[in-house]
Amino acid sequence: MSLVKVPRPTLGERLKRFFMADMFKGMWLTLKYNVGALTDKDSVKGFGIYTEQYPSVRPQVAPRFHGAPRLNMDPETHESLCIACNLCALACPEDCIDVIAMDIEMSVGGKPRKKKVLDEFIFDTSRCMFCALCQEACPTACLELTQEFELATYSRAGFVWNREMLEQGRESRKFEA
Amino acid sequence: MTSTFALFAPPSFLDDLLLRFFGQETVNYVVWPFIQIGAVITLVAVWALYASYLERKISAFMQARLGPMRVGKWGLLQPIADAVKLLTKEDLVPEKADPYIFRYAPYISVAATFITFSVVPFAPNWGVITDVNIGLLLVLAISSVGVLALILAGWSSNSKYALLGGLRSSAQMVSYEVSMGLSLIGGLMFARTLSLSGITTAQASDSVWFILYQPLAFVIFLISGIAENNRAPFDLPEAESELVAGFHTEYSGMRWSLFFMAEYAAMVVVAGVATTVFLGGWYFPGVYRLAGGSNNLYVFLSLVVFIVKMAVLLYLYFWLRWTFPRYRYDQLMDLGWKWMIPASLLNIVWTAVTIFVLQALDGRLDTVESLNRGVNLTGQGKGVAVFMGFAGLFIAALFLAYLNRHSRDFNLKKQRREIKLVDVPKGAPAVARAAADNA
Repeated sequence: MSLVKVPRPTLGERLKRFFMADMFKGMWLTLKYNVGALTDKDSVKGFGIYTEQYPSVRPQVAPRFHGAPRLNMDPETHESLCIACNLCALACPEDCIDVIAMDIEMSVGGKPRKKKVLDEFIFDTSRCMFCALCQEACPTACLELTQEFELATYSRAGFVWNREMLEQGRESRKFEA
Repeated sequence: MTSTFALFAPPSFLDDLLLRFFGQETVNYVVWPFIQIGAVITLVAVWALYASYLERKISAFMQARLGPMRVGKWGLLQPIADAVKLLTKEDLVPEKADPYIFRYAPYISVAATFITFSVVPFAPNWGVITDVNIGLLLVLAISSVGVLALILAGWSSNSKYALLGGLRSSAQMVSYEVSMGLSLIGGLMFARTLSLSGITTAQASDSVWFILYQPLAFVIFLISGIAENNRAPFDLPEAESELVAGFHTEYSGMRWSLFFMAEYAAMVVVAGVATTVFLGGWYFPGVYRLAGGSNNLYVFLSLVVFIVKMAVLLYLYFWLRWTFPRYRYDQLMDLGWKWMIPASLLNIVWTAVTIFVLQALDGRLDTVESLNRGVNLTGQGKGVAVFMGFAGLFIAALFLAYLNRHSRDFNLKKQRREIKLVDVPKGAPAVARAAADNA
């Protein structure tokens, strides 16, 4: 009477055990990876190197990836596309966007008019969950979440992006290979 | 005349140069040996540096990683960066440690391994530092002094992990030392000399490698050698997951790296002895003809052959380390005492039987050429010896299976199958009933 019913090994299993087949199987696997690392450069057969050399080789992120925010500008006039409509701030579930608008006096056809333009745009990336609802809410395709993923900074204040950072992109130190 | 001690003259082109400055005897007995010693120590130190690089690279490749790539091309300067780091690190001695023993234990470890290089025949003629007629004994004796260093390091650290590591290593090394020494005897029975150069020439003159006569002994020697060097899968003394770092837990900086140097150098020693005794040392068929009468070229090519053979064995070390998990402690002792030592004893008996059979067959077939200097065999005799050698593998396996039939073995399935329920209380528990149903 045994605690666990284990089938008796067949002759093939016994022979495998006698010749230590599993040991050689394991060694064959590691050898395949070792040879593959030297010959199979792009891991075609699946035994090459999977590591990316990160700072010199940038990983390809998925097309649906959402990263650092950006405020797009008109490519010709270089004026902000933002019309300060505040829709993004309303759409944001995390409430991390602050749109600060100001009125400017201008004359349209000789008559004085007031126009609401963007003064400052505050985007708190530390609270952002990169859902891109703001991007979808934006009527002028101004606010966009790019594929840039290096968002680390040295302080909490660094996570709060202002208009200049959003338009020009944040200055970051890039390592050369 | 048999001398107990032989030194070799330098190669002719160097001899002429050296004779300008020194006398003949000074060159042969002082200057040239010192040059050889310097070369070997430098090479072994460089190897110890680059072994860490190779280890990291090979482990990385086996795990589909890249390994060190930053310092220099392909990270080739990484060992130098490591050495600089280790040299500039603080040399810490724990407050409660025994300061003298703690400081000198690494030196014993390094010295013990480096002395053994003095008798390893790297090549014929001027490629040998010295040819002592007890060479193999010297290697075994001195390399077992290395255990002392580990015990002293573990003991003097005054730390429980270090002490446990030291004790483990001593137990392990003592048990595997036996099978390692015994497994070499089979080869010695064919070579009939303890001199390592003599063993190599015995194989060269017979044009055969002793691994063919002694496959069982080779396997035993390799396993015991790996265990002796505390390499995975037998790296219990420094088992990271249970003992922090074993005997060198408290060590830092250069003293720590001395232990590692000793470990990598000891690997070379074991690989060198395995090459000499089982793989024919510097002998490779056709090399003598390839050199075409030039003695220096012949020695150089032989040196290359020796290094290539050793490199294969050293790669095996890395390969095994990154393939197999660590043994449990009792399994390690089981393997040593219940499998390796009986197998090596059987190998001695089997080798004696082989030589007896060879002599007995000599009348019918033509097997033995002469027995004066080692066992010189004819073609037929070699065939018989090789057959007997490989038959020995199977006989040993059957013998060991018989010997250990009642002992705990590594087959957990078998253990589970054979657990008997004893003293099951009345109203048998659910587990027992289920088992009974199964049965």
